[in-house]
Amino acid sequence: MAEMKQHTDAHAGGHHGGHTEEHFREKHLMLDPLPRGQMNDMVMESMTEPPTWRYWTVFAILSVIVAYGLFYSWGKMIVEGLGIAGVNRPAYWGIFLVNTVFWIGISHAGTFISAILRVFKAEFRRPFTRAAELMTTFGLVQAGFSIFMHMGRVWLAYWLMPYPNERMLWPNMHSPLSWDLLAITTYLLSSTMYLFLPLIPDVAMARDKSTGWRKTLYKTLALGFRGTEGEWAHLRNAMNIFAFAIIPVMFSVHTIVSWDFAAATRPGWNSTIFGPYFVVGALHSGMGAVIVVLAIIRATMKHMKYFIRPEHFDAIGKLMLIISMAWAYFFFNDYMVQWYGGDKWTKQLLHFHEAGPMGWMWFAMLIFNIAIPWAILWNPKWRSTPWLVSIVGILINFGMWFERYIIIPVSLTINRMPFTWRMYTPGVEIPLGIGTLAFFALLYMAASKLIPLIPVWEVQEGQMAHKLTKYGRETVVTVSELE
Amino acid sequence: MATVTDLKITELKLSEAEGGKWGMVIDQDICTGCQACVAACAMENNVSFVGDVDSGYGRSMHWIRIERFWEGEYPEVKMTPNQPMMCQQCGSATCEPVCPAFATVHSQAEQLNLQVYNRCVGTRYCANNCPYQVRSFNWRDYERPEPLPNQLNPDVTVRTRGVMEKCTFCIQRIHKAQDNAKAEGREVVDGEFTTACAQACPASAITFGRVDDSESLVSQLIKHGHGVKHLEELGTLPNVTYFKGG
Amino acid sequence: MSEQFSRRDFLKLAGVGAATTAILTGCGPASRYVKREPYMQMPEYNYNGQSTYYATTCRECPAGCGLVVRTMQGRAIKTEGNANHPLNLGKTCARGQATLHGLYNPDRVTDPIKRSRGDASSTNVDWDSATQTVADALKNYKPEEIAFLMGTAPDHLFDFVSDLAAATGINAPVRFGALSMFEARATLSKAAENLFGKAGLPFFDIGGAQVVFSFGSNFLETWLSPVSYTRGFVGLREAKTKQRGYLVQFESRMSQTGTKADEWIPLKPGTEAMVALAIGRLAFESRGDALPRAFVDVDPLDVASKSGVKLETLERLAAMFAASAGSLAIPGGPSLGRSNGLAVAEAVLALNAIPDNFGKPGGVYFSVMAPNETESHRPASTQEMQEFVQKMADGKFKVLFVHGVNPVFELPKAINFKGALSGVEQVISFATFPDETALEADFVFPDHHGLESWGYQRVATGSAQPVLSGSQPVVSPFYNTRATIDVLLAAAQLAGGTFASALPFKDEVEFLQGKLTPLMSEAGGFFSAADINTFSAYFQQYGGWWKLDGAFGTPDSADVLNRNLNGAESEFSEGEFFFVPFVSPILAEAGANKPWLQELPDPTTTVMWNTWVEINPETAHELGLENEDLVKIVSEFGEIEAAVYKYPPIRPDTIAMPFGQGHTAYGRYAENRGVNPTDLLGQQVNEAGDLAFAGMKVKIEKTGKKLPIPRLESIMGVYGEALGEEH
Repeated sequence: MAEMKQHTDAHAGGHHGGHTEEHFREKHLMLDPLPRGQMNDMVMESMTEPPTWRYWTVFAILSVIVAYGLFYSWGKMIVEGLGIAGVNRPAYWGIFLVNTVFWIGISHAGTFISAILRVFKAEFRRPFTRAAELMTTFGLVQAGFSIFMHMGRVWLAYWLMPYPNERMLWPNMHSPLSWDLLAITTYLLSSTMYLFLPLIPDVAMARDKSTGWRKTLYKTLALGFRGTEGEWAHLRNAMNIFAFAIIPVMFSVHTIVSWDFAAATRPGWNSTIFGPYFVVGALHSGMGAVIVVLAIIRATMKHMKYFIRPEHFDAIGKLMLIISMAWAYFFFNDYMVQWYGGDKWTKQLLHFHEAGPMGWMWFAMLIFNIAIPWAILWNPKWRSTPWLVSIVGILINFGMWFERYIIIPVSLTINRMPFTWRMYTPGVEIPLGIGTLAFFALLYMAASKLIPLIPVWEVQEGQMAHKLTKYGRETVVTVSELE
Repeated sequence: MATVTDLKITELKLSEAEGGKWGMVIDQDICTGCQACVAACAMENNVSFVGDVDSGYGRSMHWIRIERFWEGEYPEVKMTPNQPMMCQQCGSATCEPVCPAFATVHSQAEQLNLQVYNRCVGTRYCANNCPYQVRSFNWRDYERPEPLPNQLNPDVTVRTRGVMEKCTFCIQRIHKAQDNAKAEGREVVDGEFTTACAQACPASAITFGRVDDSESLVSQLIKHGHGVKHLEELGTLPNVTYFKGG
Repeated sequence: MSEQFSRRDFLKLAGVGAATTAILTGCGPASRYVKREPYMQMPEYNYNGQSTYYATTCRECPAGCGLVVRTMQGRAIKTEGNANHPLNLGKTCARGQATLHGLYNPDRVTDPIKRSRGDASSTNVDWDSATQTVADALKNYKPEEIAFLMGTAPDHLFDFVSDLAAATGINAPVRFGALSMFEARATLSKAAENLFGKAGLPFFDIGGAQVVFSFGSNFLETWLSPVSYTRGFVGLREAKTKQRGYLVQFESRMSQTGTKADEWIPLKPGTEAMVALAIGRLAFESRGDALPRAFVDVDPLDVASKSGVKLETLERLAAMFAASAGSLAIPGGPSLGRSNGLAVAEAVLALNAIPDNFGKPGGVYFSVMAPNETESHRPASTQEMQEFVQKMADGKFKVLFVHGVNPVFELPKAINFKGALSGVEQVISFATFPDETALEADFVFPDHHGLESWGYQRVATGSAQPVLSGSQPVVSPFYNTRATIDVLLAAAQLAGGTFASALPFKDEVEFLQGKLTPLMSEAGGFFSAADINTFSAYFQQYGGWWKLDGAFGTPDSADVLNRNLNGAESEFSEGEFFFVPFVSPILAEAGANKPWLQELPDPTTTVMWNTWVEINPETAHELGLENEDLVKIVSEFGEIEAAVYKYPPIRPDTIAMPFGQGHTAYGRYAENRGVNPTDLLGQQVNEAGDLAFAGMKVKIEKTGKKLPIPRLESIMGVYGEALGEEH
């Protein structure tokens, strides 16, 4: 524990003056501590209580969707070929890659919230880092599914891995797809480890409080963590290293994904700004997804209203607003520079985006990604309302999915050979896409019953650091720097 | 067992191989759009037919297609000159660097873009990145009912679903001609063989040959005509020259 | 090689063998030479042994181009043009390339069969009883009750049956085909007879010309001899000795040939004759010469108003035609398929008197006679077919043999060939494919495919050298089929009497050699030989026999302009739109069963696998029609439904449809695909007896339905409508 320093909490700042201690407590989780044992029990209970019939119903429906949409449809496609999908000439890439980019985008928010906010010591992150990190891993699983679906001969996918072989064949390291493979694999591995590290103290707690198969499970996962000072020091060290290291990985992943397009010689794709544009776009959809996940957890799981409070929606809402502005900036920059470039094919393409048969999607993208977030998120009251920000989050995700759809199949429609221009109509991509979405939700549902969705040690740590102190008539929040 | 010394065999083969840069000249003024080249190509190269539904959805597998547009309004309507479009065998091909599996590579020996079917995993990046849009993908295993497979050319691989394919400048004919010449201890003579499309073309609108041989017919045509190469501004160094004529 | 033991199996076995050898000889010196190579290299880099090449004749249309077929292990792999053949000089059209999809078509007639008419199911019979059936048919009926209907090609079978007919008194064989019907060969021949005093098929030396006025002639598509005429077109454009030639196409619907023209004159259908005469008059006037009788009566101003071609245009074109020494006018296509088709042919042929190009390079010639041809024999006109069908209906023909033609599909429904078959007691088809006519026959005794057959074919036009194109089997017959001549020979022996004595041949080859024998003594041949076996071996090797030199015939042009020519407008039935059926440049008359031909895009519309109806975009807009809207086209004789294709280069008062699809039989690739425009046609013929196939008007009715038609071009609109641009 380091020295104490006085600090006006950014969130509390706006509400001081005249407010009582009770008011602070009610608003801020960090100022509303509960005894450790009680809090541990709450988290354990939210996880171990027998699932309700509603849970099982949803679980069963999702399982059926996954079985049909993901596994049956994919199997059928492997057997019959990509002909049952909607890809054609010239739209050789379709919704599979839209979904790949989309899911990688979703996976961004987890790391962003967790790592960046941890590095910058944003206190509001504490109760929901776990839920966000899970999103990274689960999202990447869906991205992996989507990109493998996309391949014409998926059974040979291992050829893309650099492995020694007699024929001395090696993947082509000039290809952005090879970079992609490496970047996504690195991201998946590092984000999984980064998910696992903060999980250790919580599963250790769960191990101590459970019996039977859970005990075995948590015992294995906890790696013998007992909470000694030395163990904590090592853990903090490792988390620190990962938090710093994963940020460039995160940036690189989506930049490299953007290079799949930006490095191509196609009108509309060959743009230098695609890297940051895609990163911001990923955060945009990712933050939207986080807020939806939080709202669902809060509404459906026991005790979660204690941990996840309007202040968190408020904080994420502000971030969403800023990211939306950044996205708008990049979009405008990309659009304007391409338009001014005057290349005839690019101009055709931009015109096609707006006025072509998919023009509605282009406008919907702008409304969902810019207009609606700006109209709603500026208001503190509205952005603290879980159902309202969730709707905004869902719409942003639609908007961002549309953006990728416009960039991939819609842009592929227009090329330098007008004789081949042709529209893309999805086929089996629809059940497959819905299948990945269902699988994503299914993984969350399973996780909510298997691991503590609230990093309880982190909340407790924060609560220990926060204090309400009275200076005269003023109640002031003080935070001690934890080391 | 393969050993490191085996490497040398590969290198040897490369240096031993006959050089030559193959190219094509197409005279659009006399191309009548009759599709004989398309049929000849399909027959020579075992190109699948895909049926009405898939061909209507932009999945036909033609390695060569004839493009045309209408200009003007009735009664002043004109058709733009027929433009046979096939792989331009770019010197600096955009399809090559993007393939993660090295399935589309540049051949040192023939200066062509090879498509190695059995190495292709079907990412279709090459097709996206081809500014000429001349690559065809096997969206399905297209059926050839018995006894149609009897017609298949044994010199050309039959492709399965999930594999990209494209015009090869009839590389099997190049090799056969080179082997024949070698067996007879001579060089390949210009015009000794030609691609299936050029051979069939009733208008002789397609000429094929060595562009690095200044005496060949293609080189002479290029030298004396006002040819254009498509999308040259992209730096792809295409090897097909078009005469618009008219 | 049997089905059970494939090449791959062989390789596997060979591999096992090699491995075994390696083990057994592992210690000996041989082991050093055993090299096991994984199958890493593409076949493109490998050597699969040597191919064998056979010269033969293409049977996909009656032109008679020479082919060289590459075969390997008894399989035909690829057809190429025969470079020695004077007609096509090594080139082929798309149909010639796709002929292998006929040879290996999955829907061939594999065995001799017997069926009840119209019933798709059938029972196999053996060849002995098949021969007996033919013998009975020959023996049990009077000779005048026996008729043969054959394809357009003037081939050995036609000679055989002609000889048989001459010896036994059966009806002389009749040749017919949809191509000859749409080409209006009888009209061309009759016009030549009227103008030059001699019937025959004219040849137009496009390659030597400087200015070509084509009145609907589709010489780059299927007309007469398309490969040869394409070479002529190249000459027009590229001959080194002269300027680039100028092609003007006069037709209401721009054909594929029209797309290559420098100028397209969309005149009103039926005004071709008067436009030709007006050009003739104006040409003479521009030169300041006295008007000949032929052009006196025409009033250019009146023609301009009737035809929709501006007077200035007529004057400009006439001056161009008059000024060039290399002018050439060609009649053809739909302009002859009108009630005044003969007048059109005469008027257009007469234009050639302006440069007086008859018998000169770049002018009009007569086609040369083939080596063993004594008189020009043209296929039957539609009128002659109507008489034929009438005889069938009247029961005058008791036995009908059909070979190489599919009249149930090709003749207009109004002529009712199918109905007339009920008047024939026995119908025997020799069809290779299960076409509509074979479906209506009592017996189908399948002939070999053209690539499995012996034979020869006279080249009717397209080459200055007299050519007898030779056929030989390039592969052994794939199915249980038999050469029709062999069947007839065997049947004649069984029938006995005059039949047996008229056909004293052992087999088809002996008959062919008998026909070739006179050529051995003819001078100027491409090769000669002392004995017939050597001669016929050369005949096979080179793919035929032709003279080294030859010259087209010169028409007698003395009286061409010294006559009255009829410039009246043709008559049309009542309706809203002029109807122009045209032969699909890809499928022609019998290509619909070849899958790769189906997949080839139409050269003008890029449509594949279906039928469409071409409507001017402006007209379509007025009618509220969009691309792929299904419309019903109604004539007084029938109605069909087809999808709209908005075709920019067609007159707003005209619609057009391709012929070639709409089969109800003919195999899986042809059946129930598209519609047949001959279902709309009537019986009206022109003065020469050719069908006035483009001589009617039709109505269009909306159905409110859509029918996607596969197209290669961008379906986002030929003018980029999908970009929201106004056009």
